[in-house]
Amino acid sequence: MLNPPDKGNIFLRGKNLNDPEINLNAIRARIGMVFQHFNLFAHLKAIDNVSLGLRRVKGFSKEEARAKALETLDRVKMTKWADHYPAQLSGGQKQRVGIARALAMEPDVILFDEPTSALDPELIGDVLQVMLDIAKSGTTMIVVTHEMGFARAVASEMIFIGEGVILERGSPQHFFTSPKSERVKKFLEQLDILYGGHDKLLQLSNGEERK
Amino acid sequence: MIFQTAPNPVEDFVKLLGFWDHLLTGFITMIWLYGLALVMGFFLGILLAIVRQYGGKILSRFSIVYIEIVRGTPLLAQTLLLFYLPTSLGLPVMGLELEYNFTLLDKDITLTLFNQAIFIGIITLGLNSAAYQAEYFRGAILSIGEGQIVAAESLGMSRLSGIYHVVLPQALRRVIPSWSNEAAYLPKYTVVVYFIGVKELFREAYYIMTNPRIAVTPLTIYIFIAVMFIVMISLISKGLDVLHKRTGIPGL
Repeated sequence: MLNPPDKGNIFLRGKNLNDPEINLNAIRARIGMVFQHFNLFAHLKAIDNVSLGLRRVKGFSKEEARAKALETLDRVKMTKWADHYPAQLSGGQKQRVGIARALAMEPDVILFDEPTSALDPELIGDVLQVMLDIAKSGTTMIVVTHEMGFARAVASEMIFIGEGVILERGSPQHFFTSPKSERVKKFLEQLDILYGGHDKLLQLSNGEERK
Repeated sequence: MIFQTAPNPVEDFVKLLGFWDHLLTGFITMIWLYGLALVMGFFLGILLAIVRQYGGKILSRFSIVYIEIVRGTPLLAQTLLLFYLPTSLGLPVMGLELEYNFTLLDKDITLTLFNQAIFIGIITLGLNSAAYQAEYFRGAILSIGEGQIVAAESLGMSRLSGIYHVVLPQALRRVIPSWSNEAAYLPKYTVVVYFIGVKELFREAYYIMTNPRIAVTPLTIYIFIAVMFIVMISLISKGLDVLHKRTGIPGL
């Protein structure tokens, strides 16, 4: 709801969010958002990044907000870095603060926009671990991701979107073993070549050479 | 005058210092105009920049038109226009005057803090400076990027709250180096109030230069004034530099 939709309707807890009567800010407070490029408030320490929304939106006192922020930073294992500024943190650490910022508001759902695509592989693990913990604790998450392994392990439902259209929808089991769409089959093949079957890749390149 | 001997610089300088009360009131008047105009321009400039950036189609146009008109017309024309405007419209001229009399080192000094001309001078300089400052602020706001305000809104903060708590604190830090331009320019612009009769530094200089009893050569006076400016503006620049370093965000 940061960008108004072109068409269609969005429902949250049975309420249509496109209703002009609705208070958009109140809705946004109930939807967490984690950004691809973190978007941490550059002038605030990690802890103040997390407590700003609590203070200005939820009306927490300074002490309450601080306590809640610390508790949330602990959930993403960032307590040690609470007094660091975003520019002093690594990408993975920034993203974990970003997750804490969304999480502290206790939203109904958290949206993740490719949370790991700007990170190098070593740092992705920390972020995914934190997301896994949050998933286990029962927070609803909608994650846009390229991390297929993670999606397979955590998701209760997977949706494959190509050119703005839903191509495949179902449980991870269904997605990885018996997809119906040709596009998804091709996608899985690519994955297999990238991560699993080097033999296949060799075969392919051998084939090329023989031509 | 024709038979005047070649002026002795040291003697001339001593004569000039005899007029220290005039130089002092002129200097204070200049600082007074400068300080108030800069503060007024600061707040109005922030407002203009925010309206231009976030005001939507209609409001932002007002801001753009204001900035372009002010930047596109001469400051002297603006000053004279605002000075004569009330009388042209038949409005009563403000009679309020605020004077401060004191004795310092056996000299009776009268410092005029407010009268019609000074009031108009401050307003004009403030309105003018606001347009220039607005563009500095807008540059700083643009450099922060959309992501910050979007993140604030994603938490449920209103746009205004996001501007106040997220955009402004960062923009004000970033604007200092370029904004110091305006802080260094404005003291010199205050000279325009000379033309509406404010006894500022250059008017006092003219008075000293043309004093029938003890005339001082223009060279001595204007070099002295130039030195006053360079000392003052260097201090302002240094101060802003220190402020910029102190308010820097760690790690950036």
